Amino acid sequence: MPAIEVSSLTYTYPGARAPALQGITFQVEPGQLIGVVGANGAGKSSLCLALAGLIPALFHGQMQGTVKVCGLDTRLHTPGQLAGKIGLVLQNPASQLSGMRYTVYEETAFGLENLGVPRSEMPARIERVLQQVGLAALGERSPYTLSGGQQQRLALASVLVLEPAVLILDEPTTMLDPQGSQAVFKIIREAVEAGTTVILAEHHLEWIARYADRVIALAGGEVILDGLPEEVFSSPLLLEAGIGWLRCTVAAQQASPLGLWPASMPLPVTIDAAAAGFSKAARKLRDVDPDQ
Amino acid sequence: MSTHFSLYQPGSSYLHRLHPLTKLTFSLAAAVVVFGGPGGWLAALFPGLLAMLLLWRAGLAWRAALTIFRLLALLTVVLFLVHGFLNPHNKSILLSLGPFGLGQEGLAYAALVALRLAATLAASLLLTVSTQPAHLVQALAEAGLPYGLAYLLGSPLLLLPQIAGRVRSIQAAQQARGLKTEGSLLQRARALFPLAAPLIFSTLVDVEERSLALEVRGFSAPNPKTSLNELVDSPAQRTARWIMILLAGLLLAVELSWRVYASH
Repeated sequence: MPAIEVSSLTYTYPGARAPALQGITFQVEPGQLIGVVGANGAGKSSLCLALAGLIPALFHGQMQGTVKVCGLDTRLHTPGQLAGKIGLVLQNPASQLSGMRYTVYEETAFGLENLGVPRSEMPARIERVLQQVGLAALGERSPYTLSGGQQQRLALASVLVLEPAVLILDEPTTMLDPQGSQAVFKIIREAVEAGTTVILAEHHLEWIARYADRVIALAGGEVILDGLPEEVFSSPLLLEAGIGWLRCTVAAQQASPLGLWPASMPLPVTIDAAAAGFSKAARKLRDVDPDQ
Repeated sequence: MSTHFSLYQPGSSYLHRLHPLTKLTFSLAAAVVVFGGPGGWLAALFPGLLAMLLLWRAGLAWRAALTIFRLLALLTVVLFLVHGFLNPHNKSILLSLGPFGLGQEGLAYAALVALRLAATLAASLLLTVSTQPAHLVQALAEAGLPYGLAYLLGSPLLLLPQIAGRVRSIQAAQQARGLKTEGSLLQRARALFPLAAPLIFSTLVDVEERSLALEVRGFSAPNPKTSLNELVDSPAQRTARWIMILLAGLLLAVELSWRVYASH
């Protein structure tokens, strides 16, 4: 059974003239990390909310089509019923704190308490997840004394502790520095390796190119591309949609007519692939003209 | 830690160990007796002294006294000035300042009001300095209050540090754009408007995001909730709560009956 099945999803916010999402159809197999990219207003956040079952439940508006997560139709289940199966992490770390708990440890327990997990099971789960996100030493600290990066890792821990089958992340590193982003993506990748299905909406294409198994590109609420990172990130459609290309891809494309990029290699979407391609081109040039 | 909630003082005193509902009942019963009990001065003095004594035994009296002073000092001065000079029941003038006379009756009334406020504050501090807001919310929910309502009651206090942080950020941003937040009272009042609008809008956005985050963490999940911390209650505390409720009710009834009798 697919972890996520979206079929002909069209959604319009109350009072809006144009739909935020239009005719979206895709499936995701369990244990994959799917990157969702798009310019501002492309529909990334709306898609995340729909997958989390919060659209239309909390936003109302008009929705056509179906969204099934873990086999559950999100329109037939309340967010409360879907909690624990679907996790959602948003971009602002501070606003995701419950405001109900005094320590990092207690904050992590909040979701477990809501889902009725027996008290005896909580410590092991909390300690494991705090270890995973690197906050084990800060368990007794107030969540409000943490840095932005630590708060975002706490937001992740608070969701991961519920062991959701599907984890949805809406630009989780927007407010973080590169080091904080790196830490968050490492945790996300570990969750995927542990079998969690992850949907990651993100502005920073480098991260998606590096970590995603598959990429969905949105423009005007529609899916314009859906494929492997190297296919999507070298497509001209991405430029037309205002999303742009990665710098390493642009460099290789500009180097290609000059013979500085091997014609046999696809345009790179990671630094490693770019380095390999430019090295190959350099070796070839050296073989042709040993003086260079 | 004051970073989370400014009044709560972490500790393990006997007050910290009491069930939140026992402390809440004391605070509410004290307020009823202070404002509605018989005996005027005594009704205000006794609950206030009792609260301070209980706080002292828990090592929290200085903290509470300082808080009471900070909150009431200015108000008390205003009360004494207003009632001392302007109370219509002033008959015994102690001091004349031009057309104004400082009346003994007004001063006595101001002292009574100040004492009542201080006593009520002391009783409520007994709860707030020794109880984590989250535990109070949990206790209320366990007592049968709908969870959403308990959260609504507790969250304004729980989210204070975040709102304070936001005020500081907005203030710094506006100052960087040339807004003067120092100076005369009028200047400060003017500076409030550019602060208020972004604060309100960003708080509203925050509310939406927080509600989404709470939902996905099972806030409205249909199952019975559990809790990491067990709030220890006892038959003795339950009995004490009933005694406090009955005593406050009885004293209120005595005072009301006396007033009805006296009015006839």
